[in-house]
This record gives sequence, structure tokens and C-alpha cells, in this order.
Amino acid sequence: MTNDRSTFAPPTAGWWPLFGWVSFLTFVFTQVYAVLTSPADRMMGHMQKMMYVHVPAAWVTFFAFGIVLLASVAFLWTEDERQDLLAASAAEIGAVFCALTLILGMFWGRPTWGVWWSWDARLTSTLVLFLIFVGYLALRSFVEDPQRRGQWSAAVGILGAINVPIVWMSVKWWRTLHQLQSDPRSLEPVYLRGLLLNFLAFTLLTVFFIRRRYEAARYERAAEHASQAAALGGYNG
Amino acid sequence: MASSTLSYVVASYVITWIVIFGLLVRVLGAVRQARREYESAVKGGFNS
Amino acid sequence: MAFRDDMRRVRAIVWKDLTTERRSKAGFNAVASLGVTILVLFGFALGPDAQALRDAAAGALWLAVLFAGVLAFNRSYQVELDGGALEALLLYPGSRWAIFAGKVLANLIFVTAMLVIVVAVGLVLFQVTVPEDWGKIIGIMMLGVIGLVLLGTFYAAMSSRSRAREVLLPLLLYPMLIPVLLASMEATKAFLRGDLMNQAGAWAQMLGAFDVIFLVATFLAFEYVIEV
Repeated sequence: MTNDRSTFAPPTAGWWPLFGWVSFLTFVFTQVYAVLTSPADRMMGHMQKMMYVHVPAAWVTFFAFGIVLLASVAFLWTEDERQDLLAASAAEIGAVFCALTLILGMFWGRPTWGVWWSWDARLTSTLVLFLIFVGYLALRSFVEDPQRRGQWSAAVGILGAINVPIVWMSVKWWRTLHQLQSDPRSLEPVYLRGLLLNFLAFTLLTVFFIRRRYEAARYERAAEHASQAAALGGYNG
Repeated sequence: MASSTLSYVVASYVITWIVIFGLLVRVLGAVRQARREYESAVKGGFNS
Repeated sequence: MAFRDDMRRVRAIVWKDLTTERRSKAGFNAVASLGVTILVLFGFALGPDAQALRDAAAGALWLAVLFAGVLAFNRSYQVELDGGALEALLLYPGSRWAIFAGKVLANLIFVTAMLVIVVAVGLVLFQVTVPEDWGKIIGIMMLGVIGLVLLGTFYAAMSSRSRAREVLLPLLLYPMLIPVLLASMEATKAFLRGDLMNQAGAWAQMLGAFDVIFLVATFLAFEYVIEV
């Protein structure tokens, strides 16, 4: 593993605190803006407004998982432990937004179709993704050695990422064969601006959360390394 | 019917905001605690 | 020649895995009995109406094979772990894929043998009428077993060497198996129903594609997982 000094150095905050403020202000603004300026939909009424939380939450879930995938590949390629810490941070944040997406999906489904759950491709794939997140995080909690934890997590993360589109396709095909309608959710252009703004806001927030979580992980690792070096006789690692 | 769907919409927003601000608190707390750990490890030498 | 050495290693591992004490007749009988017991429990859960049982037969069958089969996967690494032989095995020069291939083949034989017993009992318990061209379904079942064994053997390489191995293997494995299980169950269901629209064939093709994808992915990833 490439254990040069930078791996165990503490992270620098840089302009990230400012970024955090910007993302939160953007979030508040876009949420209020979208809710207040979107007209009630002809068919869905006020349900349409749920789009501004549910869809961005789903997007950032997959965005976070994309980071897990890329960081896992980077870790296997470079053996740089920081990539593993990034993947783990993204997985934690992603899992939270995945759970949120599922809950919001149920809140959409109950008034719309009358049921809390329908086995449609989107919802089901998101649930499977959640199970993959949980498995990933559980694996990490059961493995102590950083090298082993990093390689195993990377393998699990990459295979999990391959599996998600496969699950989506299978469920779609499954429903088609049993002649169930897929859920047509068309988007009128008047709602698009609010939606895109919220995409931006949620993405900024997610990047900020992942970065902060990553910093915490780096500090933990630096602390571990520092106390190990001290225990071994005081040379500064 | 309209009022009951409205309550689902409101609940969605409430939950989303709680999650996001909750995440903020958790994540900032984690950084603060990890940073404290690091500083004590560097100073003290032996970590408790 | 390196490839021939690898093939010899594969064969050695298959032979060893199938003949060691845990894979002996007693071990196999236990796992097969478990598969049957699970079928019985499903019978209680879904029956006693004959039509309900027939409708559920395909699903119950595959779940029984899955639940009993995962016991085999962790155990397939148990032998090396107990004797500390895994480190020794890794010291030999040569491709890691040979280790994986050997274990996959051994598990394939084991799980297929169990499948035969579970299917035989399932046909009786769930009052299934078998269509005449039952040869076709065997091919589809084999495709399903291959997917199951590939992923099971891969994830067991990690779970068998960590704490909480009993919960970790299912937790990691089951979400990954959803496409393979779904395709296998649907193909079997369609086939038992008489399959007027050749759905079984469509699922079989998907299953074959899944097997290829997971075959490549697991073989590539195995060396990262076994080395460390």
C-alpha cells in the first residue's frame, strides 16, 4: 500500500466551510422557491411538489454510489488508502439518502396508488441498492485490518454497482411479463427549472457531507497512525 | 382527499429537512471529535 | 506450462474439497436434509391448498436450494482455514483463479447433487405435474446453480474469514443473487405452467447473460479478495 506521509497527514479544511454555507443557503432557497412558484398540477395536485425532494434524493443516492464505485476502483488501482476512506464516507452518506428516497417513495405511493409499496423497477432497485449499502457498511464494521477492509470493500462495492442495473432490468422484465403497467411519470416543462435547481442544491449538500465525513475518517486514521508511531518509539511517521 | 395528500407532501418535506440538518449535525460532530482525537494522539503520544 | 499447472491445481482442489471430512457423506446428507426440511416448512407456509402449492413450487424450490446451499459455501473455505492451509496455498506460485475455479467446481457438484434431491422431494410435496419436455428445465436449472455457486463461493472467500460469518454471507450474497434467483424462479415457473409464450426461453437467455457477467466479475475480483 502506498503509505507515504500524505496518507496519514490530517486533512486541510480549505474553502470547504464556505462551500458548506453556500450549499445550505442554496438548498433553503431552492426548496422555498420550488414550492412557492410551482403551480398545482392538473392531475396530481399538490402531490407534484413532492418531486422536489423525492427525485433529487434519488439522484444523490446514485451519485454517492457512483463515488463509491469510482473510489473503489481507484483504491484497487493505486492502493492509496485515502480512496478507501472516500468510498466509505460516500457509502455512509449514500445509505442515508437511499433510506430517505425509499421513505419519500412510499409517501408518494400511498396517496397515488393506495399502497405503501409497489414492486416497480425503480423502487425495488433502490431497495436492493439500500441492502447493498448496508452489506458494504456491515462488512467494514466486521473487518479490522485496513488493507483487508479496503480491498474487500472495494470488491463488494464494485460488484454491487454492477448488480444494480441488472436488478433494475430484471424487475422491469418481470413486471412486463406479468403484464403490469410501468409507472409513467412525465414531466411538464414548467416544473423543470425548480427540479434542476434542487438537483444542484442536493448535489452540493451531498458533496459537502461526503467531504466532511471523509475529513473525519482522515483524522481518525491520522490519530491511529500517530499513536502507533508513538508506541513504536517516537519517530514521526 | 386534497387535504390528506397535502399532509403526505408536508410530511415529505419535514422528513427531508430533518434528515439533511440531522446529517449536518452528525457529520460536523464527527469531524470535531475525530480532530480532537488526533490532536490528543499527537500531543500525548499514547492514546487512551 | 503455466496453464496446465493451473488446471492440475484446479483438479487437485476439486478432489480435495469433495473428499475431506466435512464434505463426506455425512456432510452432504446434512445439507440435503436441510433443503428438504426447508421445503416442508414452505409447504406449511403456503399450503395445504393444492393449487396454491403448485403455484408456489418453483419459488419454494429455489429458496430451499439457496438456504441450504449457503451452508456449503462458508464450509468450502473451512478446511483450509482450520489447518492454516490457506496461507500455504497462496505461497505456491500460480494464478489465484485456479483456487477459485477449483472451489467453484467443487461447490457446483455439491449443490447440483443437493438440487436433485430437493427437486425430487419438491415434485412430490408440492404436487407438481411435470411437462413432457423436462429435459429443457434441467439446462435452465444448471444455469441458475452456476450463478448461485459463482457468487456464493466468491462472497464466502470473505465471510468465512471474518467475524459474524453466518450473518455476513447471506447479508452480502442475497441482494447480489436477486437477478439470478428471479430468472431461475420465473423460468421454472413458466416451464411448469406449460409456457405458452416461451417465457422460459427468454429468462434462460437473461440467466445465461447474468452468469457470464458474474463469471467475469468474480474471477477478476477474486485475487483482490483472497490475497489479503
